[in-house]
Amino acid sequence: MAGGGDPKWQKDAADQNFDYMFKLLIIGNSSVGKTSFLFRYADDSFTSAFVSTVGIDFKVKTVFRHDKRVKLQIWDTAGQERYRTITTAYYRGAMGFILMYDITNEESFNSVQDWVTQIKTYSWDNAQVILVGNKCDMEEERVVSQERGRQLAEQLGVEFYETSAKENINVKAVFERLVDIICDKMSESLDSEPAMLAGGARGQRLTEQPQGNSSPNCNC
Amino acid sequence: MNEEIDEYDIYHQDFTTVSEWEVFIARMEEILNEWRLSKPKIPKHQQFTKKWIGKSEEISFQGLKFKLSYHVLEPLVGVDNVEETDDKFLHNELQNGIWDATSHFMDEDDGSPFPVSSWFGLKRYLMMCPEFPLVDGSVIKIVMSSINIAFANVDCGVPMFVKIREHWQQTYIGFYEDNEYKSSFDTIHLKRISNQCSHLSGLVSLFKSKIGSPVALDAVVVSTKFSYELKDSEAFIWKKTTHSNEFLSIDGFDVKKLIELPFGCEKNPISSVLLNAIWPRFRESAIVDSSTFSDIDPIMAPLWTITLKMRDNINCQLSETIGKVMDLLDNNNLLMDTLGLSRSLGLVNPLQKITEAPITISKLVKAAMGHGSTVSEFKGPIADDLLMPLLYYIFPDAVEDDTFNYPERLEVEFKSDASEAKLCNYVKTSPEGGLVWRLSVTAARLHDAGGLPYLAHLWYEFTQELQYRWEHRILVPGIAEGVPNARTCLLHQKLQLLNCCIKRALEGTGSFAGNSSEDEFYDCSEEEGGEDQPPWDRPVGRLQRLENATLKNGTPLYVPCTQDPAPKTEDQLEEDAELMVRLGDDAKASELRARMMSASLLSDMEAFKAANPGAELCDFVQWYSPRDWLPDDGGTLGARMLLPGNPWLETWSVARPVPATRQRRLFDETREAQQVLHFLRSRTVSAVAELLLPAILRAGASKAHEEGVTGGSTTVGGVDKRRMFEIAAREIYEAEKEACRSLCVRAVFGDSVEGTPLDVAGRSRILSAAGGALPAPTRKEFTLRVKDSVAPQVMRAALATDMTIIGAFTERIVCL
Repeated sequence: MAGGGDPKWQKDAADQNFDYMFKLLIIGNSSVGKTSFLFRYADDSFTSAFVSTVGIDFKVKTVFRHDKRVKLQIWDTAGQERYRTITTAYYRGAMGFILMYDITNEESFNSVQDWVTQIKTYSWDNAQVILVGNKCDMEEERVVSQERGRQLAEQLGVEFYETSAKENINVKAVFERLVDIICDKMSESLDSEPAMLAGGARGQRLTEQPQGNSSPNCNC
Repeated sequence: MNEEIDEYDIYHQDFTTVSEWEVFIARMEEILNEWRLSKPKIPKHQQFTKKWIGKSEEISFQGLKFKLSYHVLEPLVGVDNVEETDDKFLHNELQNGIWDATSHFMDEDDGSPFPVSSWFGLKRYLMMCPEFPLVDGSVIKIVMSSINIAFANVDCGVPMFVKIREHWQQTYIGFYEDNEYKSSFDTIHLKRISNQCSHLSGLVSLFKSKIGSPVALDAVVVSTKFSYELKDSEAFIWKKTTHSNEFLSIDGFDVKKLIELPFGCEKNPISSVLLNAIWPRFRESAIVDSSTFSDIDPIMAPLWTITLKMRDNINCQLSETIGKVMDLLDNNNLLMDTLGLSRSLGLVNPLQKITEAPITISKLVKAAMGHGSTVSEFKGPIADDLLMPLLYYIFPDAVEDDTFNYPERLEVEFKSDASEAKLCNYVKTSPEGGLVWRLSVTAARLHDAGGLPYLAHLWYEFTQELQYRWEHRILVPGIAEGVPNARTCLLHQKLQLLNCCIKRALEGTGSFAGNSSEDEFYDCSEEEGGEDQPPWDRPVGRLQRLENATLKNGTPLYVPCTQDPAPKTEDQLEEDAELMVRLGDDAKASELRARMMSASLLSDMEAFKAANPGAELCDFVQWYSPRDWLPDDGGTLGARMLLPGNPWLETWSVARPVPATRQRRLFDETREAQQVLHFLRSRTVSAVAELLLPAILRAGASKAHEEGVTGGSTTVGGVDKRRMFEIAAREIYEAEKEACRSLCVRAVFGDSVEGTPLDVAGRSRILSAAGGALPAPTRKEFTLRVKDSVAPQVMRAALATDMTIIGAFTERIVCL
C-alpha cells in the first residue's frame, strides 16, 4: 500500500481479511527502542538488543475495533540523521505517528520538536500523533521526568504515554489509542462532507444530482 | 390486558371470516399502537427544531396500496416535557397551531413531506397516501370511515389525513377529534376558478356559511398576498462574463484572455422575479373586493417582498470547462493516439527504445532558427500562430520578451499556512502561477475550445520541449526548487525530478566527471593529508572534520562527501513500498529489506573508508549512529552493532574505500530523465487528465475566490484520487452557482436583505424595472379567520390558473 501517496482508508474490496487498513509510522531518535516496541506489540517478544534498523522496515498486525477488522501496517524507521531523507519519504502515506523518545536520554527528548516539524512538513495534514516516552522500566537512569513529557505533549497538542517494551507497559494501549483517534478522525471527516462523499458515480455530469451513498462508513 | 388474553384463550377466533375491511382497520390500529400514538402516550413537547422526522408502513386494502406515514417535528432536546394527562394539551396545541399558521401563506414550505403541516400549523400528523390516485368517491368514503374507526379505537392523538384525487392536485382531507371537539380539514382543488370564489367577498360568504354559526360572528380577519411575475428580469443588471474562445481568432489572440478561466453563467440565471404585495391583516369590511369592484391596489400594500426563482440548471462556464476535462477520466486510449503518433513515438512497440523518439527538436528552437529549417515536422491541429504564443506562455524563458516570466521564487503553498478556508484545498497543489498551473489551465481552455486533438497537440509539444530541455540541459522554468515535494501534484513532482536530472547532468559535465580525479584531492589539506602515507592509502573525498572526534587509532575523524539518496516521486515511492510489503513481514523478508535498503549504507561506508584510511566500524558508527558508539578504549561498538550477522557488520566487511565521486551512482539521472519523459508521453487520455486536474481545480477554486466566493471545504480524506476530483469539481460547481445567484440577489435587492420587506428605494426600483405598473397578478391568496365560541375557524384560498381552498373547521361534539 501507499508509500508516498496519500492515505486511503477505504475498504479494500479485494482483500477479504480486513475491513480497513491503517498505515502507522514509528519515529524518533536512534536507539530509543522503536523496533523493540514494535516487536513487543506485533510478536509479544523482547530482545535487549535488536539490530539497528537499516532504512525502514514494517510489521503487520490485525486488530478488532468495534466489530471491524483493522489491519495495521506499522513502519519502523531508522532514527539516524543520515536516514532522514529516506524515511521522511514515507511520511506522506501514514495516518498515524508514534513519536518516541527515551526517558533515559535527554537528547532524544530534545529532538521531539524536530520530529514534530518533520511530521508537519512531510505528512498528510490529518495524520494523528502520539508522544511516547519509552524505557520507563529504567527508573534509575531516568533523566526526563514524566511531568516534562506530559507538558511537552500538551504543548504539542498530542496524547502522551510512558511505556516499556521490556516490561510490556502501555505498548498495546498506545496502539489502541492511536487506532481510536484515527477512527474518530475518519468518521468526523466522513460526517463533515456526507453530501460530498455521496456525490454519485464517476464520470457523472456535474449538473446531475448525487445518487445514493456509495462510500462505506466506518462505525469505529 | 388480562381480559384480552382471557378472551383469546376462550374463543378460537376464525380469522377467515374476518372481512378485508376489518383487517384493514386492525392493521391500522396495530401500526398506530406500535408507533404509540394514542393520546396518553404522545410525548408532550413544547419546543421543536425545524427538522421533520418520520416513519412509514405499507398497508393494502381492496388491492390498493397505501403508505401510512407519521411525521413529527423533532423536539428540542434538553427542554422538559409537560406532564399533562388530559386531552387539553393536544387540543390547545392543535388549535394554537391552526391560528398561528395564518400569519404565513400557503406557499411557504416548512420542510415537511406534505403541505398540510404548513397549511394548518401542525407539529405532527399522520398521512395515508395511496400509491395510485384515489378518485373514486365510494372508495374515498370507505377509507375515511375505516380511518375514523381506527382513530377512535386507538384514541389517536395525531390528526390524520388521506391524500385523494390526482397526486398533483395536492388534495388532502383529514380530521382530529377528542371527547369534546372534532376538527375537519378539507381541501378543494378546482382546475378553474369559480366565479363565486374569485374575489374576497365571495370567499367571506363561503367561509361564513361553512361555519354556519347560529349567532353573529366577530368580523372576519383577512390576510392577502398578491403575486406578480416580473418576467422582464433582464431589466436587472446582469454582469456577463465574456465566454471566450476569442483567443482562438488569430489576429485577436491574447494570452491574457486565455489565462483567465471563465466564470459564472452566460445566460441570466433568474427565471423569474416574483413580487409579493402583502396585506398582513385587515377586517373584512376594510377593503372591498367583489365581482364588480375592487379597491385592492398592490401599490398601496403595506409590504412588498420578492421571491427570486433561479433556473434549475444554470450552465456555469468554469464548471463546464472543468467538467469536460473530468469526462476524459473515462477515456483509456493513449493520448498520443489522438494524433496518430503512438507508433512513431515508440509507445506502441515496447521493444523499441524510448530514446528513439523521431522528433527531438523543439518547436521553440525551430522558431528561434527561423523558417529556413528543413526538419520534417509534425503538423498538429493547432495552427502555429496560436501554438507559439501558448508555448511561449508556458516556457517564457524561450523568448526574449519577459511579459510572462515566472516569479523568481515559486512557493508551494502549505495548507497549514493559509488561515482562511479555501475551496478544494485538499487537492494537491503546485506553485500558483507556475508552469504546471499555466500548462493545466491552457490545456483545459484548449480542450474546451478545440476538443481532445487540441489537448493532445499541446501535450505533444510540451513533452517535445521537455525532451529538448533534457538533451540540452536547460532547466524547466516555473517549477519549485529541490527534490520532488510530495505535497505538490504528481505532474509537478515529475518535473521537479526532471529538473534534478538536468541539474545533476549539468554538474556531471563539471567536477563530477568520473575520470578526472585530480580535483578530488583539493579538500585534503597538506598537513593532515599525511604525506607519509603511501599514495594508495591517501584519504579521498573529505567533507569536513567531525568536531574534535578521532578515530580509534587517534587520527582525526573526517565526515566524507556522500551521495544523496535518489530523489523520488510519490508514484515511485509507492512502488517501492509495495515491493517491500509484498515480501511479507517475517524475519527473512525483514533481512531482505535491510539488504535492499543498504545501498546507501554501503555508499556511505565506502566514502567513509576513503576519507578515513585505517578506520574501523566503530569509527564509522561514531559519526553515523553515535548512540551505538561507546567512548571506552578510544571507541567500541554498542551491543546491537555486535550482533552476529547484522547488516552493519556485513556491509562494512564488503565496503571498499571509494569516494562518492567514483562510486556507482545511486541516482542515475539519464535513466530517471528518460523515465520521466516516457511516463509523460505514454499516458492515456485519462491519466493526462489526472495529471492536469489538480492544478485546473486549484486554479478554478482560486478564480472562484477572486469572484468573491468565501468559505471553503473541510477535510476530505481517505478517498481515492478520482473521487476527490469529483468532490472538488462539485464544490466548485456549487460555489459558482451560488456566486451567480448572489450576483442576481444583489442586482435585484440592492441594499435590502433577501426575504425581508423591501424598503422605499427598493420598491420604487422594482416598480420602475417593471415599467411603472404591475401586470395582472399571477396568484392571489386570501386567509380568512375568526374565533367563534368553539375554536378558531380558518379558510384559505389560493387562486392562480387553478384554485385551492383549504379549511380547518372545528365543532363541538354534541352527544344526544
